[in-house]
Amino acid sequence: MKELVTFQVGSYANFIGSHFWNFQDELLGLFEDPQADMVFKNQNLDMDVLYRTGETQQGIPTYTPRLISVDFQGSLGSMSSHGTLYNQSSSLSSSITTWNGNVSTQASEPYKKNLFLQRLYDEGKEKVANANGDSQSEIQDTDVVNSLEESVEFWTDYSKVHYHPQSLFELNGSWVNPQEFNNYGIGKNTLSEGLQGDEINERFRFFIEECDHVQGIQFIIDDSGGFSGVGASILENIADDYTNVPVVLYSVRSPSSFINPKTRKQNIYSNLHDAVSFSALSSLCNLIIPVGLPSLNESRFSQFLNLQDNKLYHSSGVYASVIHSVSLPFRMKRIGPNGESLYECGAMDLYEGIQMLAGQGRQNYVAVLDACIPAPSLVGRVFKQSLLENLLPLTPETAYDVEDLQAIESVIVQGVLGSEEHEATLSEVKEAMETAYEKATTRPRFSHLSVSRCPLPILLPFPSIFGTRVGRRGEILSNPVSESESMSRRGSIDVHSIPMAARLRSSTAILPFLENRLGNIRKFGLERGSIGAEVLRNWGFGREEVEEIGENLSKLVVTLDPHQGYSSDSD
Amino acid sequence: MSLRVLNPNAEVLNKSAALHMNINAAKGLQDVLKSNLGPKGTIKMLVGGAGDIKLTKDGNTLLKEMQIQNPTAIMIARTAVAQDDISGDGTTSTVIFIGELMKQAERCIDEGMHPRVVVDGFEIAKKATLEFLEKFKTPVVMGDGPDREMLKMVARTTLRTKLYESLADQLTDIVVNAVLCIRKPEEPIDLFMVEIMHMRHKFDVDTRLVEGLVLDHGSRHPDMKRRAENCHILTCNVSLEYEKSEINAGFFYSNAEQREAMVVAERRSVDERVKKIIDLKNKVCGPDDNFVVINQKGIDPPSLDLLARAGIVALRRAKRRNMERLVLACGGEAVNSVDDLAPDVLGWAGLVYEHVLGEEKYTFVENVKHPNSCTILIKGPNDHTIAQIKDAVRDGLRSVKNTIEDEAVVRGAGAFEVAARQHLINEVKKTVKGRAQLGVQAFADALLIVPKTLAENSGLDTQDVIISLTGEHDNGNVVGLNQHTGDPIDPQMEGIFDNYAVKRQIINSAPVIASQLLLVDEVIRAGRNMRKPT
Repeated sequence: MKELVTFQVGSYANFIGSHFWNFQDELLGLFEDPQADMVFKNQNLDMDVLYRTGETQQGIPTYTPRLISVDFQGSLGSMSSHGTLYNQSSSLSSSITTWNGNVSTQASEPYKKNLFLQRLYDEGKEKVANANGDSQSEIQDTDVVNSLEESVEFWTDYSKVHYHPQSLFELNGSWVNPQEFNNYGIGKNTLSEGLQGDEINERFRFFIEECDHVQGIQFIIDDSGGFSGVGASILENIADDYTNVPVVLYSVRSPSSFINPKTRKQNIYSNLHDAVSFSALSSLCNLIIPVGLPSLNESRFSQFLNLQDNKLYHSSGVYASVIHSVSLPFRMKRIGPNGESLYECGAMDLYEGIQMLAGQGRQNYVAVLDACIPAPSLVGRVFKQSLLENLLPLTPETAYDVEDLQAIESVIVQGVLGSEEHEATLSEVKEAMETAYEKATTRPRFSHLSVSRCPLPILLPFPSIFGTRVGRRGEILSNPVSESESMSRRGSIDVHSIPMAARLRSSTAILPFLENRLGNIRKFGLERGSIGAEVLRNWGFGREEVEEIGENLSKLVVTLDPHQGYSSDSD
Repeated sequence: MSLRVLNPNAEVLNKSAALHMNINAAKGLQDVLKSNLGPKGTIKMLVGGAGDIKLTKDGNTLLKEMQIQNPTAIMIARTAVAQDDISGDGTTSTVIFIGELMKQAERCIDEGMHPRVVVDGFEIAKKATLEFLEKFKTPVVMGDGPDREMLKMVARTTLRTKLYESLADQLTDIVVNAVLCIRKPEEPIDLFMVEIMHMRHKFDVDTRLVEGLVLDHGSRHPDMKRRAENCHILTCNVSLEYEKSEINAGFFYSNAEQREAMVVAERRSVDERVKKIIDLKNKVCGPDDNFVVINQKGIDPPSLDLLARAGIVALRRAKRRNMERLVLACGGEAVNSVDDLAPDVLGWAGLVYEHVLGEEKYTFVENVKHPNSCTILIKGPNDHTIAQIKDAVRDGLRSVKNTIEDEAVVRGAGAFEVAARQHLINEVKKTVKGRAQLGVQAFADALLIVPKTLAENSGLDTQDVIISLTGEHDNGNVVGLNQHTGDPIDPQMEGIFDNYAVKRQIINSAPVIASQLLLVDEVIRAGRNMRKPT
């Protein structure tokens, strides 16, 4: 069980993905860097799980993410959709060999590279022409940080990863306004027209064909608009052709997607979309994890963070780091049958993870994602709270303080600090978690713990989202560093690594989320004379299919709460 | 106005403003696409903000690349793209014909005619033109042995509008042979059975037809042969990798031994499937024969190992469509279970070999006996060249298919449009009573946009050309335009033929959409400013 294939569908999914791959890139770099901290050097992660080795036509070896990213045409900013590695010689590319007649050229104005990308580009050139020695006009870190804070518009603006030419797919919306690309139906249509669906399948086949033993697919999708329909089409094809490949799906929402619609009609639209999209996506994967709070900065989650909700660049960084944590167990190397690593424990593959959360007992495959950034150190806690109590949900519409005797959870702890500001050893973490579970008022039926001693590296394109009480290694300081207005956010210059904890939870806490969707489809789509029936018909759902959606959602609710009078024949 | 009361933000364009908005949009779109038309048109190179290049001379591709925002233009573009979906070509012609109909209508309306009357005239003219097309078309007898020369002429006419002449001529043979290869008597032609594969390698003139199949992957084992002759081909959809049981089965092992035991049992069943394949190989293969497995599902390294040791070449994760194509190309049948293995499910190919370009591998399955599927292998130095040739090949294939299915062609180079125009003016117009005559006249004049644009793109004087062409037609000669000299030519002699289906579709759909746009009374839109330039 090895390779994971990653999908990023939709704009916010790609913002998150861009951060995610930056982390991986940094880990790869630190692993090879002789001066890096020992915790990074000794990490026992198998990067081949996420990356593929390849070779250009010129015979230069490459190492690129096993990724398919789907986004609108023009969303790649200054990055070419062919990536950077497999470039053809430019002299050939500009000449037209297929036509002898007239040529008219229509060139868009080239996108300006921001300071960060400029520096990356210059560094790349310097490596080639190292002979020059003295580097002119170094761009300062602080300038780069400011430039990123001010000017990020595309997800490529802060990406430092080389992508494979097959990875970046630009969806041609055929004359659809991005603002109008806001519902399930339109996304579904876009992919069914023409050959775009086939093309995405082909690209997926390219990546999966070279996998010796595919572990599964991690699918990150921005389901707030038409991309949920696009994603559903892709997943349908995967289900047809690759029946036994497990799929874990993160349906992500940016804070800005929660802005309240102006009219009642728009409100009904978006409620229906949410219900339809969730129902479709959840039936096409093995585990679905809704992620994205309406107001991340104001939530309890962001106690030590200070970010701007309207910047996708900020909030996506948070979600990306949590998804990174969750994916750690799938990549830990297993050392023999009884071998113990000093740096990681709790490896499992995606299938086992899904089986654990969704396969046993209730078979509830909607999970809640909790996390805590930065995770408090094990000793000298600032708040006398255990790690467990610090884990707060990133899944919207969840219930607090539920007592669920059948809950199952999988906790991932990454690089927490122990005594004397050192990364705590595995046994220390395990012990701490055990005592925490013993003290806790409600205990899950089953829990799994994965620990990595390697914290999350905070690298330059990461946004400045940390509050003033976060220290250099992510420790929580008892006194804020400085109170001046300009320094209220700390970023990659002041903070170098962050300890983290994340948890996937199969629990009744998700019930409000499910009930809201079920209620909406009943109210707007199924009740006699409801306004939504017409809308749903336009999206390609007949009466029967809407009933099916309702049934599907009520099944999910009943799984978790058998006593609820939500059975489908209640009316 | 009443709507203002209901929604103060709504914007209303009155009748004449609405009409002019529509007409201007149609004319605008016409202007963009006009220069594409014909073998002397202009190729468009689109360079994106990140330096990505797209090359196209195809109206369909161009329309899709343009981020059109104007609602009227979108309506027209949708019609034109639908045209391409239905008949495979004619997007540019549809757009410029709609534009011209609107232009002609505008003249009538400016002189005080009601749009309704114009539309009535369009309707009469359309019907008459379609009837005329039936008489004008050149029937082609298909029978068992289709007229290869005729098919070539049609394909050449299409391809020469997309690619330079010698490449177009080379591709003409390729597409005609490809369609004839997959054609089965009494069955509709399924163009999906022609695989279109590309390699970024060498030059466009190295594009060729492979009678057989080219797969875009290779074997994944170092010991498997890179080249094999006299191959038995097994096409199958059988999982040859260790998989866990159904994901929701819900089993859980309580200790490590149990887990091991499960793994061993599962592995054993995979190995047994592999052994059955090896048994079949030993049964059918002589000393000079080879055995190739092409599987739609996965094959994991232990299975590959077993197969390699038995001297079998194995490919995994083949395209779903290739399962069908392989059977058509090599014979045999695709099996879904190892229980169905028997010598007669095997296909045969004289030669199977692998070609490696960097990390990309290609497997050629060639020298097959009676191919009913084939591959067009496109080569080119860079991606945009390949993409453009690919578009052209698709159009070429469609044109050949159309000809076989229509059992008719239409003389090209503008000959049909001029003849239809003369027919409308000389015959039809007289039979129409009242002012609808002017609508017929407008329609007739609009037809001339095709020869006019052809002339304009060739740098000729449009007036001269139209006069000499209509003159010849009035003398009873069906002539088209010679793009080099501007003189009238006989398209039949020159071998310039268009698809009947394409022409019929254009005549059918363009007036419909033009009429709809002309009859718009009011444009109402709430919430967004229409007059803003987009």
